[in-house]
Amino acid sequence: MAISENALKPATIASLAPFLAIGVVAVLLPFVGNDYWAVIGTRAAIYWVLVAGLNLIVGFAGQLAIGYVALLTVGAYVTSILAAGTVLPPVPLPLCFAAAAGVGALFGVLVGLPALRLRTFYFAISTLGFATIVTQIALAWRSVTGGGVGLAGPEFPPPFNTAWGFYGLCLGAASFATWISANIAHSRFGRALVAVRDADVAAEANGISKAILLIPIFLLGGAMAAVAGGLFATLQTYITPDAFTFDLSIMFFIAILIGGRGSILGPMIGTIVLTILPEAAAPLASWSTFLYAALLLVIVLAVPGGIADLIDFKNRRAITEERMIVPKPALLPQLFAHRPTPAALTLNGVVLAFGGVRALDGVDIVVRPGEVHGLIGPNGSGKTTALNVISGYYAPQEGEARIGGDPLPAGRPELRAGLGIARTFQRPRLVAAETVLENVMIGGTISGRAGFLATLLSLPGRGRDERELEARATRALQAVGLEALAGVKAGRLQHGEQRFVEIARALMLAPAILMLDEPAAGLSSDEIRRLGELIAEIAKQGVGVLLVEHHADFIFEICRHVTVLDQGRVLAAGTPAEIRSHREVVDAYLGR
Amino acid sequence: MPTWAGEPLLDVQGLVSGYGKIGVLRGVSISIHAGEVVALLGPNGAGKTTLLRAISGLLPWNAGDVVFGGRSLAGAGPRETARAGLVHAIEGHRIFTQQTVYDNLLLAAYDAPRAERRRRIEEAFAVFPEIADKRNDLGGALSGGQRQMLVVAQGLVKQPRLLMLDEPSAGLAPVLVDRVLNVVSDLRSRGVAVLLVEQLVEKALHGSDRIYAMAQGRIVLESSAGAPGLAERIENVYFGHKAADATGGKS
Amino acid sequence: MEYASVFSILATGLAMGAIYALVGVTYNTMYSTSRVMSFTAGQLGMLGGVLGSAFVLRLGLPLVVGFALTLACCATIGVVTEIVAVRPVLKSLDQHLYVLSTLALSLMIQQVTAIEWSTEPQPFPRVFGIGSGVWDEKFWLPIAACALVTLFLEWLQKRTLVGRAFLAVAEDNFAAQVLGLPERNLRIAGYALAGAIGGLAGFAGGELMLAFFANGGFLNFYGFVPVALGGLGNNRGSIVGGLALGLFQQAANFWVGGVFASVAVFVVFIVVLLVAPQGLFGPTTARRV
Repeated sequence: MAISENALKPATIASLAPFLAIGVVAVLLPFVGNDYWAVIGTRAAIYWVLVAGLNLIVGFAGQLAIGYVALLTVGAYVTSILAAGTVLPPVPLPLCFAAAAGVGALFGVLVGLPALRLRTFYFAISTLGFATIVTQIALAWRSVTGGGVGLAGPEFPPPFNTAWGFYGLCLGAASFATWISANIAHSRFGRALVAVRDADVAAEANGISKAILLIPIFLLGGAMAAVAGGLFATLQTYITPDAFTFDLSIMFFIAILIGGRGSILGPMIGTIVLTILPEAAAPLASWSTFLYAALLLVIVLAVPGGIADLIDFKNRRAITEERMIVPKPALLPQLFAHRPTPAALTLNGVVLAFGGVRALDGVDIVVRPGEVHGLIGPNGSGKTTALNVISGYYAPQEGEARIGGDPLPAGRPELRAGLGIARTFQRPRLVAAETVLENVMIGGTISGRAGFLATLLSLPGRGRDERELEARATRALQAVGLEALAGVKAGRLQHGEQRFVEIARALMLAPAILMLDEPAAGLSSDEIRRLGELIAEIAKQGVGVLLVEHHADFIFEICRHVTVLDQGRVLAAGTPAEIRSHREVVDAYLGR
Repeated sequence: MPTWAGEPLLDVQGLVSGYGKIGVLRGVSISIHAGEVVALLGPNGAGKTTLLRAISGLLPWNAGDVVFGGRSLAGAGPRETARAGLVHAIEGHRIFTQQTVYDNLLLAAYDAPRAERRRRIEEAFAVFPEIADKRNDLGGALSGGQRQMLVVAQGLVKQPRLLMLDEPSAGLAPVLVDRVLNVVSDLRSRGVAVLLVEQLVEKALHGSDRIYAMAQGRIVLESSAGAPGLAERIENVYFGHKAADATGGKS
Repeated sequence: MEYASVFSILATGLAMGAIYALVGVTYNTMYSTSRVMSFTAGQLGMLGGVLGSAFVLRLGLPLVVGFALTLACCATIGVVTEIVAVRPVLKSLDQHLYVLSTLALSLMIQQVTAIEWSTEPQPFPRVFGIGSGVWDEKFWLPIAACALVTLFLEWLQKRTLVGRAFLAVAEDNFAAQVLGLPERNLRIAGYALAGAIGGLAGFAGGELMLAFFANGGFLNFYGFVPVALGGLGNNRGSIVGGLALGLFQQAANFWVGGVFASVAVFVVFIVVLLVAPQGLFGPTTARRV
């Protein structure tokens, strides 16, 4: 259903064309090639089963798993051992593969755990360590793996026991792998993965929990790699630890990066090219890893976007220079059709000290529904810290933050979106490599209803989610006045435009509270005026807006209530007129 | 009050700069003469720190020029500007906490001839007896005020012709603020020009010859420090014009 | 259990531990001047052994000359790492491109070694020919090298201005630049130093690990474990962590066998990363917002 509807769009057809072309070549191969080509084609298909899963981890989520050959090894040995029946009674082939997928998924998560908490390099090293160890085990655990002598791979029954028969099977597996990875990639999960990669703080603020998101991806990636391992063992007919060199791991990894992060077509081309390349240039075979590595270095330094970027002609088209942001606040009521329960945000005696410095020293703030509340103060007075407490990046040592009657769970930023709190950042945190529309859709991640499995298999819920999200994101973009740029990659926008994209993303939550951190910085005076109108109109929808801003004119013009912080305390609170004539405030600002 | 004639020591012309895509400075021009103390005022986010960073070569420029001592600083990094005698003491009292006070000053003298290092450090200590007593303590053991003195002392060791101080008084107790700002007049008496970014407007006015005020990445006010009615004009820079209707949002 | 095996565990464990510790110090030295962890650290350890063997056994150069040339070559590779794989990606540290660029360079080094040298472990020359049994030089040389490097780094940081400048760059790179310290040259010097330390680790451990191209990947992992244990940038933590790792690995080797010793090391590594992500000794938390 989802497919048929999407297929109507010419853009979708255009983006499917390269896959179809590759598919046609793959289907025609048996009619033109010999058995040698069958082996190479089979190998490419098997590698792609692994790479398609790994692509979600490396290309989309940006987690640099360099030791994925280990999971191929695990899958190969599990299927071979179970099929041979040397250790346990022989197991039917489908069960062997199911078992391999299960074990692979388990190890996929195990190796992935450090990625949930740690920097990229640590994860890279832990997958490298895992790869080293799996090879050592395969060598030393002779009673099970046959050690250096190895063991026979599983044999498929007819019609899959011929070269072309097995090729057909692997091609089917590869197509299925492509389909499920594309289902994930083009869903809220795929966009969330990219958000974790390129804008992790913003991902959290939009309710994306890295752990909850990545664990199913690691399960999937591990399972796909292990199934590829089983097929690989069959292709090899006989496996020894030598067959699983680290070079293979590097090839998978590099295929993705050469192909381009966040693309499926690019890594697919990368896999095919890297599989054929050593065959085409036999004298160079021993140098292949060196060439891959050199290619990787060149790509990283010169074309970080990979093949996908090189063939993305659409995004090289110039955007018109003369463009204006003209928000249409009249559209806002549609976005707030399911009006949030109006809820006040309350900070009550919040204290937060870093070392000996009390950054917040008993701060009280109330942001009421439908009110624009300004938060101002000299440098270091605690404004941004207050926002970060509300956002959950810091846990207050005393006092509490509440929304409506409920306390905000301290130190859990990923729970804020679900409580109806949205925010923007001082420096826009967008995914530069994704389109403006996709960036805005990230804001609706938590409203999706189709689960991971439903998305994986493209059950009807996924299509419904996608259509709803896209429609709402388009409306949000119209509301902030950026619909003309919906298809442009966010990184190409000007700084001021990016700020409005962030507001659109925040609107996707239909939030009860919207926090804006210096939204006017760097905008032209026209843009500032339109921003003011937009904010006023957002508040009219019953949203409590908390606005941190230095631009005094702007604050005094659009805020109904202003709180002034100085050295972590509330120096004054009141209407703009009261604040402006408040002697202590003036003195605090001028340092008297 | 002396009159400032002739070529300025520092001449900034139409400087445009920022962080990546974020434009902050939108064409800033200021000038400072040798031995002059100039205060740079303005609300948060006006671009004061950015201006200092662009001048000292920490940020690239998109347009404009900075001429120091008759030479353009285009393309010069922080090391070159410091060697030319334009020394920048950044905000936040950033010293090296894991090293002793003496070593902190020694690092400032990295480019000085080996024989001169000790003499320059002792001169700096003479200006700041408070930290001279702590020369063998780790930087991390100093109080906020002492750290700021150490930062200024690091600047002195480099024998600047122009010292740019970014919010030296931030986070200090009032007594220490006076102590730190008194150093500015001390510097002037030694013929060192000072560009002072300061939140404490009155104190800054008190010790300066001239002021610039910035807002929204532009210079919006230039005046001698003693000009009549200056306080109100500065207030307007910070709070906008009172003539505007305070409550009248567009509705 | 016999005393002999206890001594053997201690000797091998401390010797291997010292090599891991030195590779850890190599990682740290690169990190401290650039905030970058480089995959070439382990390869430098590998090259120490391979180049030592190549210069002394294959080319027949005197040992001292071979040693000096090995360190010089490794220092050069350190500098090449900085120029080719680190400097171009420093501007975008948050994109973690350094993981890829240093990995690429590291693989290129490993592959050239495999093709031009050998894919089999090759012998390494006797250095002094002193000692036998558990007192053999192959056990105490790495430990001595580790002690020497520790003392040298202490001297450098406590007694020289360049050493203090290294510390300054490591603590606050921005402030160091503002102060006019030659940050770029210091970084290059840091990479040269790191290269020499990695080369020394491989040379001193040559008799134990042999001249084998695959040591690079192995040391990349086992040399990083002490860094994770001790906290990134903390040399003392790395040395304690490295020695502890060596002893743990050898003890596990003795009791549960080589394969499961590796598994045990890996499990400990993962558990430590999850329980104490900043290492057991040195907390360095970064603000994200």
